[in-house]
Amino acid sequence: MIVAKRKPFNEIKELISGSKKILILGCGTCVAVCLAGGEKEVAILASQLKMALGLVNEDVEIDELTIERQCDREFIEEISTKVNVDDYDLILSTACGAGVQLLSDVFDHKVVVPALNTTFIGVAEGPGMWTERCRSCSDCVLADTGGICPVTICAKGLVNGPCGGTRHGKCEIDPEKDCAWTLIYNRLKKLGRLNRMEQALPPKRYSVQQYPAKIVHEAYRRRYE
Amino acid sequence: MGDCHFLEGNLRAKERVEYTKKLLNEIGLGEGRLEMFHIGASDAPLFAEAVEIMTNRAKELGPNPLKCGAEKAEAA
Ligand code: SF4
Ligand code: SF4
Repeated sequence: MIVAKRKPFNEIKELISGSKKILILGCGTCVAVCLAGGEKEVAILASQLKMALGLVNEDVEIDELTIERQCDREFIEEISTKVNVDDYDLILSTACGAGVQLLSDVFDHKVVVPALNTTFIGVAEGPGMWTERCRSCSDCVLADTGGICPVTICAKGLVNGPCGGTRHGKCEIDPEKDCAWTLIYNRLKKLGRLNRMEQALPPKRYSVQQYPAKIVHEAYRRRYE
Repeated sequence: MGDCHFLEGNLRAKERVEYTKKLLNEIGLGEGRLEMFHIGASDAPLFAEAVEIMTNRAKELGPNPLKCGAEKAEAA
């Protein structure tokens, strides 16, 4: 899932300054799970803003709404069945950057600003903790690396490691961080697949990674031609 | 601390109270109106002490500035 963190409160206050009526729009999927932009976080942010603006006697009307996903037009269309977007000067979105952009595309006559800093694709390690696991490189090597991503976990993104800087299972870049290739070695050993390390992997095909990337499913090509 | 009927419940509550204080500081209201005390169910003197601390603090901080604004607006 996408993991994000709320922007500092003062930055958010700055982003909405001058607006008289705003809609805080939450996303009920990834950012709800990482406690950054779901219904509950929208409620907390709305209360904070109402109180902060109330303290300086600023009269701003703040409404809240959370939809299932902001990265899908189907769900964005639902917004208009619940509120009149034209009533608002500004939409403060607590989705990831992808959600904010689709929202801006659909309501391209409205100012849409992000309340979060989108940070990585990762996993929930336990309540309240998430770690990055994938850089979406478009050429996955996990089959050869025991299910541990060197592109993400290795500080140098080496697909044939370790480098000379590995020290007692830690990385030379940051002794607090595990050496990805020690993790990979240990995992392959456990799996009885150490032979995978005897052969060098081909150079990583960075050219397959497009910016911005786009995928059209084969069965849907006609409609986008 | 940690010696809670709900195992780690009081430690978790403490973290959340600290986080809520941060939220209150961010908005400019200050954290003083919120406090968590660890008091055993049978420890009446400690409870009384906590009530006194908070009463004094409430007096010091004065009325809730947000409510004052609302009252002023109503009166106007
Ligand atoms: S908008 Fe972003 S956070 Fe929300 S569901 Fe889509 S990818 Fe996840
Ligand atoms: S190799 Fe790593 S970055 Fe690339 S797709 Fe696989 S997990 Fe993601």
